[in-house]
Amino acid sequence: MSRLQLMLENSWRDLRSGDGRISMATQTALLFFLLTLTLTGASIQRYLSDNLDQMLGSDLVVETHSPLTERDEATFRSIATGLSVTQLTDITLTHKDEWARVQLKLVDDAYPMQGDLQIGDTPVATQRAVGRGPKIGDIWIDSRLAIKLRTNVGDILTIGGADLRLGAILFHEPDRIMEGHSVAMRAMVHAESLAATSISSSKGRLRYLATADERQQQAIATWARQALPGASVIRKFGGQHPLASFWQRTENFLGLASVILFFMGAVALDMTNRRWLAKMRYRLAIYASFGTRSRTAMLMALGEWLAGFLLSIAFASALAILAYALIVAELQAYFPGLRAAWHVAPALKTIGLFFLLLLALQVPSFVQLSRASLLSLIRNPGEGRHVWQRLFWNIAAVTLLAAAYSDNWLLTGMTLTAIAAALALMAALTWAVIRLGDAWGRRRAGLLPFAFFMMRQRLFAKSAQVMGLGLCGLLLLFSLMLMRDLGTMMESHGRSHDGNLMIAEAQSDQIDAIRHWAAATGSSIRALRPFVSAQLVSVNGKALADMDKPSDTLATLKDPIRLSWTDAMPENNRLVGGTWWSAGTDKWRQISAEPEVMTDMGLAYGDTLSYQIGGARHDFMLVASHAYRPGAGSITFWFQVPLSARPQIDAPTRYMGSMELSEPAWKALAALWQQHPTLSLVPLQELTERFDRTLGIVTKVTAGYAAMVLLLALFVLAASVSGFSADDRQKNGLLMSMGLRERDCLRLNLCDWSVTALIAAVGAIAGTWSAGLLIYRDQFDLTYSPDMLWVATIILAMVGAVCFVGYLACRQNLKVSVRDLMAT
Amino acid sequence: MPDTIELNSISHHFDTLSERIELFHGLSYTIRADETLAIIGPSGAGKSSLLSIAAGLEIPADGDVRFTIDGVAVDALTMRANSGFIFQQFHLMPELDAIGNLALPLRLKGNRHAFDIAATWLDKVGLKDRARHRPHQLSGGEQQRIAVARAFVTGPRFIFADEPTGNLDVHTSESVAALMFDCARETRCGLVIVTHSHAMAKRADTVLLLDSGQLKAAA
Ligand SMILES: Nc1ncnc2c1ncn2[C@@H]1O[C@H](COP(=O)(O)OP(=O)(O)O)[C@@H](O)[C@H]1O
Ligand SMILES: [Mg+2]
Repeated sequence: MSRLQLMLENSWRDLRSGDGRISMATQTALLFFLLTLTLTGASIQRYLSDNLDQMLGSDLVVETHSPLTERDEATFRSIATGLSVTQLTDITLTHKDEWARVQLKLVDDAYPMQGDLQIGDTPVATQRAVGRGPKIGDIWIDSRLAIKLRTNVGDILTIGGADLRLGAILFHEPDRIMEGHSVAMRAMVHAESLAATSISSSKGRLRYLATADERQQQAIATWARQALPGASVIRKFGGQHPLASFWQRTENFLGLASVILFFMGAVALDMTNRRWLAKMRYRLAIYASFGTRSRTAMLMALGEWLAGFLLSIAFASALAILAYALIVAELQAYFPGLRAAWHVAPALKTIGLFFLLLLALQVPSFVQLSRASLLSLIRNPGEGRHVWQRLFWNIAAVTLLAAAYSDNWLLTGMTLTAIAAALALMAALTWAVIRLGDAWGRRRAGLLPFAFFMMRQRLFAKSAQVMGLGLCGLLLLFSLMLMRDLGTMMESHGRSHDGNLMIAEAQSDQIDAIRHWAAATGSSIRALRPFVSAQLVSVNGKALADMDKPSDTLATLKDPIRLSWTDAMPENNRLVGGTWWSAGTDKWRQISAEPEVMTDMGLAYGDTLSYQIGGARHDFMLVASHAYRPGAGSITFWFQVPLSARPQIDAPTRYMGSMELSEPAWKALAALWQQHPTLSLVPLQELTERFDRTLGIVTKVTAGYAAMVLLLALFVLAASVSGFSADDRQKNGLLMSMGLRERDCLRLNLCDWSVTALIAAVGAIAGTWSAGLLIYRDQFDLTYSPDMLWVATIILAMVGAVCFVGYLACRQNLKVSVRDLMAT
Repeated sequence: MPDTIELNSISHHFDTLSERIELFHGLSYTIRADETLAIIGPSGAGKSSLLSIAAGLEIPADGDVRFTIDGVAVDALTMRANSGFIFQQFHLMPELDAIGNLALPLRLKGNRHAFDIAATWLDKVGLKDRARHRPHQLSGGEQQRIAVARAFVTGPRFIFADEPTGNLDVHTSESVAALMFDCARETRCGLVIVTHSHAMAKRADTVLLLDSGQLKAAA
């Protein structure tokens, strides 16, 4: 009983010491991060699987971008028990002077196959469930749209000449899951309401909702693979949620983030551990001097450590729950209906894993503790050389973490490789610099040679310090750089536009209408480029669906993209590689792609790209690569083919372009849209707003992460100074007692710290460089081109910070050290 | 039959890179719990080593050591559980106050009255009013008195002291030595002291001189 109490008292006292606080804070911060991640991840996973069960609206959905041929649809109906066809298209809906971009869903009588629709009479009305979609002549819109358009149930809305009565406010569709994380405003009409109107657009999609048992689902999946290239099949059983791959990519990134954070934490913990170990050895030796058995003493040490761990679990859990609630609230915009629930099992698993990790870090300490002996109180034993042992356990711990958190082995492997390379470099540099410095200074007088001499005496401690700081610098630098570059990449997406209205998509007949409208309103068309909607279905015969390396490019390419044609290189493009076709060539099966696309998809010149265009399949050979060049308009395409290819392709031509609208012309836009609802015109302002919203979220996430990284870097710095201050104090005391003036002593320490910081900085830069080379291209679709000035600034700041903190610590040291020395 | 530590022709040496340091060869002696023993000798003679071997902390290079408690032969671990130490550097826990340091061994043995017993001992060593002071607030002599009390507080069979007054002035040494021997006699505990102070050694029942690897009764 009193032993337990003693144990608790001890750990409480330890926690109040500087080292204790640092390691406690580090543990708590790490656990907080991991727990928050786990809880959020579990919520999203649960959401995704629940969703797939409840929100598919049928047993199976086949999504295509062009209608099935009559024969295919007949085959489909013969395999499935029941079928409902819905069609999705983006249109602009207007009411009086208000307008909004809307995702319109056309449904048939069979819709929905399963589940109910929730509707109401006003945006705030109580919802009621109905089993059928809107009847002919009715339109249902979602509540946000109703508010935006300032319209009420009973109003008449016009789409392409058809008058539709607003029948209800739509709250929920049973096949909502198919919308994924889209937050587009939605409207629903019966397909026959618009039978007379043309509302096709290149982004249009058709969904075939089928009722089918498991065997039928299998049969449909097999059939669709064969007969419907470019179609995707979502099944309730054994299927993949459409958002799963998006989330997978996010998790990969977060996995890497955790590994990096944990690594930094491990460095801080390792540094405080040195002091902890010395203290515990002393304590255990004294315990042994009054006959306490070493097993008891070890159990007590373990217990004390455990008590600290339990406390940090308590803190971290409280913080994590708070953060979790906030994050889920934020994420609800992306995953409608996501809820914060208690995920006890995953949380416990994370805590358990974290416990194992810390234990792994602690093992070398406990091993040494078990060798602590009473003899050390009679004779002073030399400091053990356990750097390698520690290093081994640290790496083992991080590998364990990586195994648990990241399923992207390549990425993890690359990170670890870069870290290992940096560590090796730093170890070698420390050895070389200090030994050479010592050799150089042997026959010289002065402070620097003396500083080298002192450092050489403490080579092991010094290299641990250098590696710790360097590793921390590497991770800090890398994270900051990655975030900065991701930010700039996103910003560069908001390319310079000319004109204030984007023609995102217009059909041939609409172009004439636009021309007339522009002439009438005094607006001008700035640029116009034609394209057809084409879906890449395979590369060199390998189906796109079978490619497994997830990337944004791949995700985008799973939907149809815009294929443009031109003979001359467009003015806002430049040739990056390959050979561009000569004008008027009759070899029309050639294609040029943007370099980013080539890298992401692993394309090479000579590859055959097969596209599904307007129901036919066309093969092109990749011959060139073009990149965007600013200055001549913003419209550019991922893929371009020769002009001579156009006659060979049977698909409607659409246009993309930009316009400059005069002030009064804006008011006249609604009229244009009423006649041509599918005409996709996006005011630039809206575009930048939409983009800013996305960027805002990315910024929030990265800022949170940067805060974590900086916090841990701070812990490492604090740990490194406090962990070595005992050594420094003794050294300083001795030097002063030998008559060195305080100022010189300070300068000596400064030399010491700057050598340490400089070697660490070199290691950090080298590590960042190799990590950048390895990871950027491969994982984040970024070109690695370090901004030397930026890197240099960061490094200088780091070296400065380290020296400054070291200087402060040393000044404090010098005040107490002589007296201290007398006391012992 | 008192508790004993039997040293049977023990030898000890240290191997360094260049040479072998021979400390002693074929020493035999029986330390009894009912007597006080002082070992004197020049610095570097191997006194500390001999003490460590006798306390079961180190194993001699040659020869053997037998521990007997209550007439039963026991191993070094059991012996250690029944012995206490006093050091030249005092080695109090810096983070604990005087009474906390004194109570520590009792609490480790699971004694519920640790603080009461510690208070009596504190009184006995004359530091009752310093109970709440931490080691750095106490003088060397005061620290060592607490260290002495701490060694005796659990009632061990043997106490080993390595130059317990090595860091103290003559006057303070006297009082600490007196305290040690009084406590030893009062609690009937075997006391083994290594010292180079002849004044202190004279207080012991037996004085041995370790010099050039030989153990002789001192004159
Ligand atoms: N771990 C060790 N390795 C090598 N030599 C040692 C070691 N410990 C002690 N010695 C040497 O053994 C000799 C005796 O040491 P010690 O027993 O401490 O003597 P004393 O206590 O009488 O001064 C000394 O010369 C010392 O240098
Ligand atoms: Mg000695």
